[in-house]
Amino acid sequence: MSTATTTPVVHRKKVDWTKQALRAWAVLMYLFLFLPILWIVAFSFNTGRLLTVWNGFGFEGYQALFNNPAPREAVVVSLIVGVLSAIIATVLGSLAGVALARRPGKWTIVFLVFVALILVTPEIVDAIALLPWYVQLGQGWNLTIFNNGYVRLIVSHAIFSTAVVTLIVRARLSGIDEALEEAASDLYATPTKRFTQITFPLMLPAVLAGGLLAFTLSLDNTVISSFVSIQGTTPWPVYVFASVKTSLRPDIASISTLMFILTVLAISLVAVVLKRGGDSSGDIAATMTGTG
Amino acid sequence: MTETNEPIRILAPEDAVDRISRRMFMAGAAGAAAAGSTLLSACGADESADTSAAPAGEVESELNMFTWGDYNAPEVIKEFEKKNSLDFKLDSYNSNEQLIAKLTAASGTSGYDIIVPTGPFIPALAENELVQELDLSRITNFGNLEPQYIDQPWDPGNKYSICKDWGTTGYAYDTTLIDVEMSTWQDFIDVAKDQASGNMSVLDSPDNAVGFWLWANDINWMTTDTEELNQCEDFLLNEMAPHVKAFVSYPGGGDMQNGNFALVHAWNGDARQGIIQSEDKERWKWVFPGPRTEIWMDTYAIPVGAPHPNAAYEWINYLLIPEVSLKELEYIGYNTGVKDIEPMAKKAGVERLDIVFFTPDQVATMESGELNDAQERRVEIYNKFKSAAGG
Amino acid sequence: MAMDTAEAVDTGSAAPSPRPGGSKRRIQAPKYALAIPAWTLFILFFALPVGLVLLYSLGEQVSAFVQKPNVSPSVWSFDNFGKAIDPAYMPIFWRTLKIATIGTFICLIISLPFAYWMATKASPRWRGVLLGLVLVPFWTNFLVRTIGWQIILAPNGLVSGWLQDLGLRDAPLALLYTQSGVQLGVVYNYLPLMILPLYVAFERIDPALTEASKDLGANRFKTFVQVTMPLAVPGAIAGMLLVFIPLMGDYITPSILGGSAGSMAGTLVAEQFLTTFNWSKGAAMAVIMIGFILGALLVFAILGLLLRTILRGRRRVRLPEASA
Repeated sequence: MSTATTTPVVHRKKVDWTKQALRAWAVLMYLFLFLPILWIVAFSFNTGRLLTVWNGFGFEGYQALFNNPAPREAVVVSLIVGVLSAIIATVLGSLAGVALARRPGKWTIVFLVFVALILVTPEIVDAIALLPWYVQLGQGWNLTIFNNGYVRLIVSHAIFSTAVVTLIVRARLSGIDEALEEAASDLYATPTKRFTQITFPLMLPAVLAGGLLAFTLSLDNTVISSFVSIQGTTPWPVYVFASVKTSLRPDIASISTLMFILTVLAISLVAVVLKRGGDSSGDIAATMTGTG
Repeated sequence: MTETNEPIRILAPEDAVDRISRRMFMAGAAGAAAAGSTLLSACGADESADTSAAPAGEVESELNMFTWGDYNAPEVIKEFEKKNSLDFKLDSYNSNEQLIAKLTAASGTSGYDIIVPTGPFIPALAENELVQELDLSRITNFGNLEPQYIDQPWDPGNKYSICKDWGTTGYAYDTTLIDVEMSTWQDFIDVAKDQASGNMSVLDSPDNAVGFWLWANDINWMTTDTEELNQCEDFLLNEMAPHVKAFVSYPGGGDMQNGNFALVHAWNGDARQGIIQSEDKERWKWVFPGPRTEIWMDTYAIPVGAPHPNAAYEWINYLLIPEVSLKELEYIGYNTGVKDIEPMAKKAGVERLDIVFFTPDQVATMESGELNDAQERRVEIYNKFKSAAGG
Repeated sequence: MAMDTAEAVDTGSAAPSPRPGGSKRRIQAPKYALAIPAWTLFILFFALPVGLVLLYSLGEQVSAFVQKPNVSPSVWSFDNFGKAIDPAYMPIFWRTLKIATIGTFICLIISLPFAYWMATKASPRWRGVLLGLVLVPFWTNFLVRTIGWQIILAPNGLVSGWLQDLGLRDAPLALLYTQSGVQLGVVYNYLPLMILPLYVAFERIDPALTEASKDLGANRFKTFVQVTMPLAVPGAIAGMLLVFIPLMGDYITPSILGGSAGSMAGTLVAEQFLTTFNWSKGAAMAVIMIGFILGALLVFAILGLLLRTILRGRRRVRLPEASA
């Protein structure tokens, strides 16, 4: 810092420029990220018959929610499927993650290859694989449970989500020294207690993040759902996708706006919980992307 | 598999019952043979194609319709629901192939009571045991249909289907971007290569994507002539493809209004929507092109395994009431085939009736589609055309 | 599999005295025991059905209306693959690769400064909120976001009008139904997947390292390029994978924003199953698509390794000669 005392003004200006440029870029980025959201919220007040053709300001899109049960039911289906598949994915994925992190062995490679395959396979391939499979199971082999729309959706969503949760939990636990758990055993803790009081709280942020991610993935799942869903249990994205090809109505924007508000509230809630648990934003982001 | 296995109880004349049972047997045998040659045939041919039909009369509390998107007036659905105290559920598809795919995969358990196939697909649906034979005596308003819209070549005697509406294929162009007068399919092609190049759309369906060139050359669009089809492919892939911006089946659902194209290949009702919903209603011009074009008819049919057949019949009946039919026409913009619907529509002041009703001369130039031997070849050309476009 | 069975839960503790709890009373469970439920799910609902798809690709279509292909071994052949690599379709696979590569690259470039700023320059108090704001669009429905773009990009729309009024364009916006439209759409949709790992990577860099670099005489730019960036590479790689792979298989974005010029492999595959009934051809196309993905990953991995070797040779911190 040999220049500090001689030319302080120049030094300060230089720092400002870069920082301002970065800040400006950040603003642009946020604008970019939110642009379509803003538009959808704006068009949720469209009084036209078609979503994409502006006709005037009004609340008809929201009123349609009361008149037209189809989109509402679709949202309900999505929420139910989301919660249930997230639970399954979280449980299965966490267990697998624990096993991978704490009990690695020859089996680890095989398992991880599987997980990688699941993540690499394009969704369309999963979709075209699952539909005939369900038909085979449900009708060919008479396992009628697979004729149930909910079961099909939940299982389908759980596959990818489980893979994701597995990696997230594994990443989290790998980063935590097993010493803590060993210390617990040394102090005479039973295996159960060791799990509930040491291991589990340590992996809780990852489990929560994984669960939340699984829920979102399920809510957003379009391709697989559109192939395997059954009449009566049409999830929200499938409803929207079907409308895209024919005619979109403003009620889609209205529901989306409402769901948007709900998700913001939900995320804020989870973030508060995680913050309370002592995680920094970095940790949260890390667990969510499986890089923590 | 269907959960109940009640014997078929249909209120039908004796010989009809015989016909039905014999058909089931034949289908069963054929199905078993087909099943034997595939590894995973499962319940491909549902031998116990059980309608589980309750005796005619009591309308159930639910009705599930699998149909095209936005293809019924919401008002009509609501009134039907109220009138019969039932719950009306809708699911939609974008193509007949999708419909068939869903039904075949579900093998009778789709849960739908009403489907809306396009006419030429009925024989295939019937052959594959996907639709039930209709008991026309239960459709008391059947007589409300104009005679020319019943008894179609692909469903003689209306064994499986009832006309929902019918229409044709043409195109529309943006007069602010295209200044030539257009009236034939050849004009469509010429302008596509010229003023509308890179700014036009073609219907996203195999028969239409292939048909317009054949029509422009006064060839029946269902031709099975190899040479003609080869020429068609050659033209589409090499001369037409570079000018196509997108394959869109419903340009009137926003693309026309938003100015995404200068020239759109469209079905009449959809083009009409695009025209009357634009800010400037004179901006887009509809063309009924010559020398040939399509007549298509969408129908109501009841799939095999429909859980609420009574409600289904009730619905079909309801739509054949002239006042109700008019409401449908106003919403979807297609001719519903009901008697005297044209004067009724005129009286009600429905816009642009020239795009809904056609003169006998125009109708004479229309030809229906069919699922013939050229289907596979057409699909192949369509696939390649789509892939070559924009490349 | 004696080697895979775990010892009792309490691992080697040095204390020789007897322990009332935690003694070796747990039955020798295999190491992978806890992963069995997930394993079952994967086998039953991923391995088997996807294997089925591979089987289809070897089979043949029975007729135009029967979807399930004939898969008995007697008809196995590679015909479908032959059809799938027809010159009419290959351009779409290459275009998909192009869109995915460009898209990933653009995501990376525009995310770098943003993630860097958020992780290092923004006030720590607000980082949580800033991060949340990035996630919020990510948590709305994929389709709806893309439809939002469809509205924004409309030639008759507001944005088009503004751009023309401002003189930035002399004709209505024509991004819809073009490859650029799809490019924009995919960059948008996968952006958060790039931002998050980059943010994590930047945030984890020990400030001491950058300080040390400055102490050794490197200016800010040099520090960034030679210290910060290399440390962020794992994050960048994670981001690129998270973006590139699903992007290759994307089917929704091109179907809404892309016309013919923007169609991608995913649409092609889907169409075989939804429109034209040819499951065996569709399966073959799906296999080819996966092949492209894996092939691309391999090429990038090799390129990455080459790059690393080159940079390693050059990236040596030169200590200035000792001076007063």
